[in-house]
Amino acid sequence: MRSVYFAFAITFVITLTGCSSKSVEKPSEVAIEQESGDFNGELEGFADEFEVEEVYDPFSGYNRAMTTFNDKAYEYAIKPVAEGYKWVLHEDIRESVDNFFKNLYFPMRFVNNVLQGKMRNAAEESVRFVVNSTAGVLGLFDVAKKYCELEPHNEDFGQTLGFYGVGSGPHIVLPLLGPSNLRDLIGMYPDSYLSPLDYTERNYDTLTDTPAEYLGAKTLEKVNYVSLNIDWYDDIKRDAVDLYPYLRDMYEQYRDKQIKE
Amino acid sequence: MKSIFKKILAVLAPFILSYNLQADEQSELKSRFLNKIDEIIVIVENKNITKEQRNADIVKSISPMFDFELMAKLSLGSTWKELSASDAKRFVELYVERMKQSYSAKIDAYEGEKVEINKIQQPKSNRMAFFTDLVGKEEKLEIVYKFHKPSQSIQGKEDWLVYDVEILGVSILKTDRAQFKEFLRTKSIGELMDALAKQS
Repeated sequence: MRSVYFAFAITFVITLTGCSSKSVEKPSEVAIEQESGDFNGELEGFADEFEVEEVYDPFSGYNRAMTTFNDKAYEYAIKPVAEGYKWVLHEDIRESVDNFFKNLYFPMRFVNNVLQGKMRNAAEESVRFVVNSTAGVLGLFDVAKKYCELEPHNEDFGQTLGFYGVGSGPHIVLPLLGPSNLRDLIGMYPDSYLSPLDYTERNYDTLTDTPAEYLGAKTLEKVNYVSLNIDWYDDIKRDAVDLYPYLRDMYEQYRDKQIKE
Repeated sequence: MKSIFKKILAVLAPFILSYNLQADEQSELKSRFLNKIDEIIVIVENKNITKEQRNADIVKSISPMFDFELMAKLSLGSTWKELSASDAKRFVELYVERMKQSYSAKIDAYEGEKVEINKIQQPKSNRMAFFTDLVGKEEKLEIVYKFHKPSQSIQGKEDWLVYDVEILGVSILKTDRAQFKEFLRTKSIGELMDALAKQS
């Protein structure tokens, strides 16, 4: 029995010294020896990690053309407009506009959190909506985040579908909106019913009544957003040798992560 | 009774030991990483020097912690093995230069954000992943730094080296692999190298 205590004591001592100092040369040598076994040819060890899953892309011809169109539209229309807008309006105002739009999409986030069983997040979204719509003056100020440390939980119907195992389907680049896929495109339809920015006939009031008003509101939202992140697209773009597959893969990886969260 | 204790202990001891070894390695790398960030912030906030000088200083500071050479090789996937020695050398040079430029430019856009380490994972004894948040005024950006420990230390480099960075779930290496692969389907490695040369 004593020998057991002794062995335990030794382990304990080694454990402690292991925590506090670097004097454990021996074990680290052992660890390196173990490693070198699977390190023949440094690249082999990484093979499984970067197995690229091919994105399903039957519309690549159209997608490529639309990516070029969007890129030019950004460079020659959206960005210059956003720059002018940025010059006119102070950053605080633009941030408030951004907050206002984000606050409007509360029903979408709430419903999709509930559909994915994320009740805690749904509850936090509700508190955020109530606090920001009142104390935050119609959503202009994100006081819930600033003072209650409540972060938004972005969920849309595309993510909900992905959560229940629906695959992304073919990649589709949308005019002006950019990369998407069939799953996310389908998801936009139910989400639009949860958005107070819509022009279709509803049995409750929406903020916009005609397609023109809707388009105006959406344009403001987009231009305002771009004005807050003006260098963002160019920063991303500079590492592309071929813009379309680059953006496509980034989008799919990003969505996969959002779905997993 | 005695023997059971002994057996349990014999089984557990390696775990306890290795657990501690890992914790020790993790905390050491963590402090190195945080020191590096402090070092870089000092450079970035120094507005007395020119942008070019700042970028050069950033590159000098981050290079010992990044395995750009490995990234270059991994970015080509199976094509890497098919390159001639001279192409291989030139490709690595171009890729490394492009990475350095791209990184220093991104870091130089720094505006008072804070880096917080949320989680450290060690999936293998020679792999570690730092899950960090870049906390800005408005938004948080989740960035994962993936480190590996080469079996033999590389001259001028640290023990643990970054071989991939994931920003909001988008892996720089995966994205490069995909776009290079697609590029090489219709074009040659020479054209790819010309395209890379233009970027830096």
